[in-house]
Amino acid sequence: MRIRLKGGRVLDPAHGESLVSRDVELVDGRIVAGTDLKADVEYDLGGDVVMAGGIDLHSHIAGGKMNLARMLMQEDRRAFPELPGAFCGCGGGRAVPTAHATGCRYSELGYTTVFEPAMVGANARGAHLEMADIPNLDTGAYLVLGNDDFLLRLMAAGAKQEQINAYVGWMVEATQAFAIKIVNPGGINAFKFNARWMQLDEANPHYGVTPRTVLQTLIRAVTELGLPHPIHLHGCNLGVPGNDETTLATILAAEGRRLHLTHLQFHSYGTEGDRKFSSSAARIAELVNKNPNISVDVGQVMFGQTVTASADYMSQYRNRGIATPKKSIGMDIELDAACGVIPFEYRDKSFVNALQWAIGLELFLLVDDPWRIFLTTDHPNGGPFTTYPHLIRLLMDRDFRNAQLATLHKAAQAHTLLGQISREYSLDEIAILTRAAPARILGLTDKGHLAPGGVGDVVVYAEESDREAMFSTARLVFKDGRLVVKDGAIVETVAGTTHVARPEFDRGIEKDMQRWFDEAVGLKASHFRIADHELRNGAGPTILTCEGVAP
Amino acid sequence: MADHWTETFTDVVCAFCGLGCDDLSVEVTGRDVRAIGAGGGTVCAEAARLLRRRDVADPAPALGGEAVSGAEAAAQAQALLRAARAPVIAGLGVDMAGAGALVDLAARFGGVLDHYASPALFRNYAAAQRTGWLSVTLAEVRNRCDVLLVVGEDPTPHFGRLFERLYPATPLFATGERRVIFLGGGPGEKARDQLARARVTHLAAEDAVAALEAISGLLAGRALPGEAYGGVAVEALADVAAALKGAAYAVVTWNAATLDEGDLVATRATALVDALNVTTRAGVFPLGGRDNIIGVNQLLLWRLGYPLRTAVRAGGSEHDSTLFETGAALEDADLMVWVSALRPEPPPRFSGKVIALAHPETVFEAAPDVFIPVGTPGVDHAGTVFRMDSIVSLPLGALRVATLPSVAEAVRCIAEG
Repeated sequence: MRIRLKGGRVLDPAHGESLVSRDVELVDGRIVAGTDLKADVEYDLGGDVVMAGGIDLHSHIAGGKMNLARMLMQEDRRAFPELPGAFCGCGGGRAVPTAHATGCRYSELGYTTVFEPAMVGANARGAHLEMADIPNLDTGAYLVLGNDDFLLRLMAAGAKQEQINAYVGWMVEATQAFAIKIVNPGGINAFKFNARWMQLDEANPHYGVTPRTVLQTLIRAVTELGLPHPIHLHGCNLGVPGNDETTLATILAAEGRRLHLTHLQFHSYGTEGDRKFSSSAARIAELVNKNPNISVDVGQVMFGQTVTASADYMSQYRNRGIATPKKSIGMDIELDAACGVIPFEYRDKSFVNALQWAIGLELFLLVDDPWRIFLTTDHPNGGPFTTYPHLIRLLMDRDFRNAQLATLHKAAQAHTLLGQISREYSLDEIAILTRAAPARILGLTDKGHLAPGGVGDVVVYAEESDREAMFSTARLVFKDGRLVVKDGAIVETVAGTTHVARPEFDRGIEKDMQRWFDEAVGLKASHFRIADHELRNGAGPTILTCEGVAP
Repeated sequence: MADHWTETFTDVVCAFCGLGCDDLSVEVTGRDVRAIGAGGGTVCAEAARLLRRRDVADPAPALGGEAVSGAEAAAQAQALLRAARAPVIAGLGVDMAGAGALVDLAARFGGVLDHYASPALFRNYAAAQRTGWLSVTLAEVRNRCDVLLVVGEDPTPHFGRLFERLYPATPLFATGERRVIFLGGGPGEKARDQLARARVTHLAAEDAVAALEAISGLLAGRALPGEAYGGVAVEALADVAAALKGAAYAVVTWNAATLDEGDLVATRATALVDALNVTTRAGVFPLGGRDNIIGVNQLLLWRLGYPLRTAVRAGGSEHDSTLFETGAALEDADLMVWVSALRPEPPPRFSGKVIALAHPETVFEAAPDVFIPVGTPGVDHAGTVFRMDSIVSLPLGALRVATLPSVAEAVRCIAEG
């Protein structure tokens, strides 16, 4: 099947193509070099913008905590019922949409790949079953490590890095993960021992290890195992005024090694001013700019009702008093991690929420290199992913941004330098943020671009000066060469794949794992391990083989 | 069977009660299946009973008790579904693939979805959904819990190896004295054996809700005017309150299925755990999970956005925990699709048409309009089920060659007609 997209303008920053007039051809789901051969289907694009499918590297789309959120926030589901049409007969919701709605809404925006950033090992099988039910998206998941008792025990016992690497490799393989996420390094574990705070250099009450050593140990592990994505870190002290110092120290703690700081907005708070809450975006962006080993995503706050769901039970427990509506869930999980689910409404008339909004935008605009910053709302924690088109307009349209700013809480306006920032993102930069850069930092060489060999995930947008309108409804979306969206509406649902990484590791760890599961967990390691055929209804994963480096 | 080798399977996963034991040993000789042990000890009575299969011929698919081919049964089932105005898809004792197929069926023909064990789930939702709760999974209880409060009757008859799983020889953290307090019924002999290493106390509460409220009051520092609450002396309750408050990691557990006031127990236990977490750590550990109800509920949450007791119709779904409870829904229904693959659970009485996708040993009061015998996940075919805590799910393997379709296969045949 040969498909030709004729007369479009190609925006492919990975290959330096900025609105280049050329045709794009797809054969059997892949991009090929242009030919004169007769196409089976031809689309005349009339100058529309052609981009690779969008890639979201951090969005909570599957796993037990999302189901807890759905269970707790039935009002979200009721308020957003199924859309009419034969393809959307099963599911709704906005903050925590169903699997089906997640796939359809992302697809309509032009996204084709989304990564779940906090899969708990004990819940991995369930998360994979759920991901298999998300249509039109390729997925993958980051395994939460750094609070697991097995790792902390190894570290406390002074285990060699090789042994840690073997454990990490075993866990990645067993849970069919793509990368390693650390959430509040050691802090979730410390909360199980009744510690309520955990600073970067504070010792775990039971194991004595510090968040810094956990971070550095796991950075070494993913480096030496050759995992393509660096450690994906949700740092200490999420949401706490004054966490700016922790964040700056954390960047330095990477000591030049690659590190991704996720939802940086929630970690960029100072304590200046009457209300002891201020923006440290400028200081933090400056240090990010100076350290090319660091990448970040923002976790932009968008106003409205949402529900926050995080493995960071320690932080979520602290915040449960501000739940709106007043209900919340917490759970300690299986010597592995934890989770906390808290509904929350971000209000533009709240000083704190308005300033959070401004801090996120400051970060976007003050981090210089678009290849090292990614467009996220930490869905649904800062707001649902369906707000992305609005966020894109805020980045691309200074007048629009300032008009929005003018409507916010007055004191918050006075506490941000956002109004003085003139930068506007270009279309090329948006394509980098949402396509080329995430593909690069995830090591997905056949995604995020439109050169021959790339997957046939291709999106066509009609150019409009209102960028929110432009990015709200893709004109055409192809998933693996199949048309799934036409004029902003779903026309077909197809099954995606799940990306997993496969590092080499010392299989001598197997007997340690068996003993650990037998004695501590009380389950068989062989049943923790997820077989390939359990993914995607028997189709199995798409495997990225890792080439490790010597320790 | 002389012409068959006996094969012994080890580390077999058990799908029945929700505890998710995965260390069973099972002997299989041809089509004969027999559980012979578990984790070096004995298998629980329920697993032994439900895993026992004899080498007998499968019943044939039937229409009103008359044997027919599988294709005829599937065609008639589809005809009934097409003709139905208000189907109820009930039972739902199925693995994850079966549950997914049944949601597809509901999306196509419409229908209310409910599991036969859901009353306990919705008792717990009185707390979990209304206020939320602070909970804990099995391995955390196993290794951290130094004071366990068991509310209601001894859960061992329903979860045969519960205390064995929770009280290993060498927990990681709770290495000192581990206290277990029964508030309600006392521990039976089996529970006492499994709790040999723990310090067991029994407070014979007649009204566990009142006793829990009193414990919460004492924890809050209130002076209680009465001498006893719920049938337990204030001194004993004060001792419980002190033990919980002094615990490093207290856990409260109950089985809502056996508690008429399960909703109130869940609510009071949740409040108690909330209060404890202000100064120390604690969690609720609700028991349940029979016949993969937790997994089916999880699937509905991610597929439909609603838990069990949801109606799918006209391109949308609607949840109502009262209206769409099996019994209530059947009052307005003209077709019941009864699905029970994990055990021969008989369907409730119903005057309308009945399609049964059921365990081959099911005894029906009246022959269903369509009977399609199905294989058992974890015996006849592989599958996945969730454990009671909704976090861990386990892979089931096949123990013998399947001669019956799985629920997922049977549903696909019906959908294709």
